[in-house]
Amino acid sequence: MIGLLVLLPFAAYLGWLLWAAFFLPVPLSYNLRSLWQRKVSTFSTAGAIALVVGIFVVVLSLAQGLSVAFVTSGRDDQALVLRPNARFELNSSIERERMRILKVHPLLAREGEQPLCSAEVVAVKLFQKSNGDDTNVTIRGMEPMGLRLRPQARIVEGRWFRPGVSEVVVPRKMQGRFPGMEVGGIVKMGGRQWDIVGAFEAGGSSAESEIWTDVADLMQAYKRDSYSTLLARLQDANRIGEFTRSVDEDKRLKLEVVTERAYFKELTKAGDPIAVLGNLITVILTGGAIFSAMNTMFAAVANRTKEIGMLRALGFRQRDILASFQWEAILLCGAGGLVGAGLATFANGIQTGTTSFDTFSDVGFAFTITPGLMAQGVAFSLVMGLLGGFLPAWRASRIPLTEAMKGG
Amino acid sequence: MPATTTEDLGGGEAIIRLQDIAKSYWREALEIPVLKGIDLDIPKGGYVALMGPSGSGKTTLLNLIAGIDRPSGGGLEVCGYALNDLDDDELAAWRNAHVGFIFQNYNLVPVLNAYENVELPLLLQPLSRSERRRRVLEALSLVNLEDRMWNYPRQLSGGQEQRVAIARAIVTDPDLLVADEPTGALDHKNAEEVLQLMERLNRELGKTIVMVTHDPKAAHHARHQIHLEKGVLDRMVEVNQ
Repeated sequence: MIGLLVLLPFAAYLGWLLWAAFFLPVPLSYNLRSLWQRKVSTFSTAGAIALVVGIFVVVLSLAQGLSVAFVTSGRDDQALVLRPNARFELNSSIERERMRILKVHPLLAREGEQPLCSAEVVAVKLFQKSNGDDTNVTIRGMEPMGLRLRPQARIVEGRWFRPGVSEVVVPRKMQGRFPGMEVGGIVKMGGRQWDIVGAFEAGGSSAESEIWTDVADLMQAYKRDSYSTLLARLQDANRIGEFTRSVDEDKRLKLEVVTERAYFKELTKAGDPIAVLGNLITVILTGGAIFSAMNTMFAAVANRTKEIGMLRALGFRQRDILASFQWEAILLCGAGGLVGAGLATFANGIQTGTTSFDTFSDVGFAFTITPGLMAQGVAFSLVMGLLGGFLPAWRASRIPLTEAMKGG
Repeated sequence: MPATTTEDLGGGEAIIRLQDIAKSYWREALEIPVLKGIDLDIPKGGYVALMGPSGSGKTTLLNLIAGIDRPSGGGLEVCGYALNDLDDDELAAWRNAHVGFIFQNYNLVPVLNAYENVELPLLLQPLSRSERRRRVLEALSLVNLEDRMWNYPRQLSGGQEQRVAIARAIVTDPDLLVADEPTGALDHKNAEEVLQLMERLNRELGKTIVMVTHDPKAAHHARHQIHLEKGVLDRMVEVNQ
């Protein structure tokens, strides 16, 4: 109710302002030229707005990048089977016997005699990044069918790993962020040396944060008796509910099923701490930017008091002055917003990573600046202009006419 | 001084009618009277110079006549409208339609060129762009500045700026022109040109002019001089030209 009381006048004001943009008697060219005349204050305020919008768009692009990494990873017709309440692959464990039963489930898709599924083991290993920091990297052991279930993955250098000979493939993106990951190099894991035989790409998905190898080799090296998960393709995506119930109710299994897409969506929460921090910084900077816009506009009103008086004397109404100065603030901040959104594009595609608090391992992703995010940034700057410009515009419209004509 | 009637100012229908006008300002609880018991009728086509020492209330009286300020008491009828009955928006529309303003410091918008400055009051009227253009060019030609219409105020001399301001004042074809020290910022030559232009507007176009001035030479261009002293009308002088 209180929200409605606040929002209704705001919406009405916004509606009136949009109407005024088309029917305003004070020409917008007057505001644009006035801004241009006060270059120093205009550019410094627009610069502050550009900075805030740039940061705002980059923060949003982090979430976007993570979303691309995780959401493009999942398919609706593929299911992940985990230990109940495991939530994440790293916490999950499925004994060999249960895995054997799972693999013959009648709802699984098949390729000839072979079920389209891959029993997998997920482990983590501490690696040093190029900047010297240590971080956990996910190591995934998979069956040969695992590659068929990840059609977006393709070798860009070398070849895929072979079973039984301690070979790994690494993501192309990881090669830039971790030293010693070149094809032909060696990594040490589980007390063994592994040959890097290939580099792969996987469409920007979270797979590009993992080192892949053969599941049997990895189990042997890490002395594991059980698998972590089963990744399986279903005959029909619509039968996921049936598959889930069947696996849950089978007393021999008692396992949990999630669609691959839902699982990766849950993982996007890895970016929450960055988003919270980024949003906090944005909020603080936004306060500063609004104050800067307000200050600039108050100075503009003070410098142009006589002009305001003259306009009022000629017959311009108080609301004409209010709309004119409000639009001036919006134009000022909008220009800053456009610059900020433009500058943010320089971050597009830059590779970075974060440690997921769910899997305790590194998640690599790229800053992804989309036109939608840029539009959000510009809209954000317009809101700053609206908020920062309101009080000065109100003041401009309310100066008593006789006082304004004397110059305040 | 008794009430000044239109007969005193040359006769004819009154365009400005002030009855027992009073104006006070308040400084906290202290009332400061500025105008007291002003009775004045100015005929259509009159040209009146309001004179008096600083603080005599002449600019306040001009502001009341122009609908910029409101009286504390008394009746005020200008161009057929009882200004006390108009709300702020109606008063703004009335000023736009009936009054042209000429200020001491020209008050041109520095970021607009001469053409755009003159066009400003027309933006409030329901006119097509071509009609606005026709009127702006006509006003600029009356002040002999068609060739400077794309110049910005900083590119014009003081006299030219004031002529642009006069063009802006007449572009809406108002009944009444009010001028507050229109030559106060000009040298003798430019001041004389501006005053002659105002005289022409009065004689040839029939504009009623009320001008506040300290300058006796400027006041000499008016048909009548009205002197104020401590907020009351002191005396009226007919100018022999």
